[in-house]
Amino acid sequence: MDRYEVECFEEAGRDIYKQITSTVLQDHNLTSVISKLRIFIDPRIPIFVAVGTIRDAGGSVRVSDIGSVQRQADSATISVRDETHLAKLLVKLNTIFGYDHVDQPDRFTILLSDTEIPDGFENIEVTNRADTVFRDLIYALTVIAPEGFKVRRESYGKRQFFYVASENTLSEHVVEDIVAGQFALIGEEIR
Amino acid sequence: MILVPITFRGGVYRHDEVMDYIEDLGGYIIQKHDIAQEVVLQVLIPKDDIERFRAFTRPLAGEVTASPLVGTEIAVVIPSLEIHHLPHSACDIAEYLRTVGAKTNMVGLARGFGKRISQLNDEERDVINEHDIAVYVLGNFETCIQEKFNGLRRGVHVPVILTGAPPVDALKRITDPPSAGYVGNLGRFMHRTRTEADIGRLDAVVEEVARVLDLTRDELAQDPLSVSPARLQDVIQEGVPEIDEVYSPTPITVQLAGLRVKLPFTRYAETIRRLPVEEGVTVGDIADVIPSRMRDYILVRIKPFSETHIVV
Repeated sequence: MDRYEVECFEEAGRDIYKQITSTVLQDHNLTSVISKLRIFIDPRIPIFVAVGTIRDAGGSVRVSDIGSVQRQADSATISVRDETHLAKLLVKLNTIFGYDHVDQPDRFTILLSDTEIPDGFENIEVTNRADTVFRDLIYALTVIAPEGFKVRRESYGKRQFFYVASENTLSEHVVEDIVAGQFALIGEEIR
Repeated sequence: MILVPITFRGGVYRHDEVMDYIEDLGGYIIQKHDIAQEVVLQVLIPKDDIERFRAFTRPLAGEVTASPLVGTEIAVVIPSLEIHHLPHSACDIAEYLRTVGAKTNMVGLARGFGKRISQLNDEERDVINEHDIAVYVLGNFETCIQEKFNGLRRGVHVPVILTGAPPVDALKRITDPPSAGYVGNLGRFMHRTRTEADIGRLDAVVEEVARVLDLTRDELAQDPLSVSPARLQDVIQEGVPEIDEVYSPTPITVQLAGLRVKLPFTRYAETIRRLPVEEGVTVGDIADVIPSRMRDYILVRIKPFSETHIVV
């Protein structure tokens, strides 16, 4: 992250939230995606605000990223290395080749049989991280936010995101003012 | 006779002799775990016989350690057990207290979260009051703890230990009336306790719980119980054979001044009341057998000597 700060008038709370944020973002593999992140917490109001920007997260996950492909005449074997996107790969394979030609005899092996394997099969895109990164990010911020802050407002797009949570109802202009103020502190404007 | 809580850890081989020896010494086995090739016994044993017991278990390669929390039931109270906030620090605290012999129950409040909106309902309050002590695992902000803590302990009359992220001094400053004990630098953190610093904080909880329980024990000693809870456990175990069919890890949970018997109240309360402890003295004479608010269990509260004028 290029810039990462947590502001809170309580020292103990601020330090722990700094630690919680790094732990959660690491657990969700999001540290490399976020460029700037600023968290502002004031338990007196009470309010939790997170604003930030993300880097280009457009990492395509291709068949070759999931496993290696050994081709035979009219069949192929995929030896799975990384199971993270395996479910999506299977859906994709079933769509392309049909259920009759796709088999997974064990956890780490996928067999494609009696079918024509197209050229450049290894480069077929299975999923794109950019489609889900904002959703993952907002979920991670829900995890970071204090318990009981059930009233939430969140927004993302154009490489910017913000997440505001409180236990009281949040009026529109308060949220806008606070969020704009927090964005200004990291040198950004709401787009 | 002063009974001291200890844990015996040893192999399966000849462990029946160890159990017989404990009974011969006049001790009580509170809980027995069989873990693969190992047997862990949580025991109350006469203070003067500890060395004798150590000598007896030495050839069997057994390990005897002091466990100050054996024979106590502790409620670990947490504002919520929300899935988003897993792993909860309270899970590790409850687990760690078990390693030193306590029986812990997690009490995840239905609406305990939030500062302004937190509540404690009557069922939660009654369940907490059935324990020897309650450890409140609150969060990271002084402001929140100050505002919500009194609401969360309303009606709770067992000693409460307050834990949270602010240091002990801050916790003391914001609690009015004061709590029985305090542990700082805990609060909500989103990782499992693995580092030395983390374990140190858990040790602080154990130390504080042990200190507060010692005070309770001293209070109990002023007006002794009519019977030792461990002895009453033996009486119920022998008198109600159905207890062997209960699959719970502790079918009878020993507390400082009572027992929780995990059998249905309506069917077994009368049987337990009529059990003879000694000639002419039944359980009903020296203890209240009342329904627990936890499932349909039975709670046995032993009366003090001043009430019954009986000590058995």
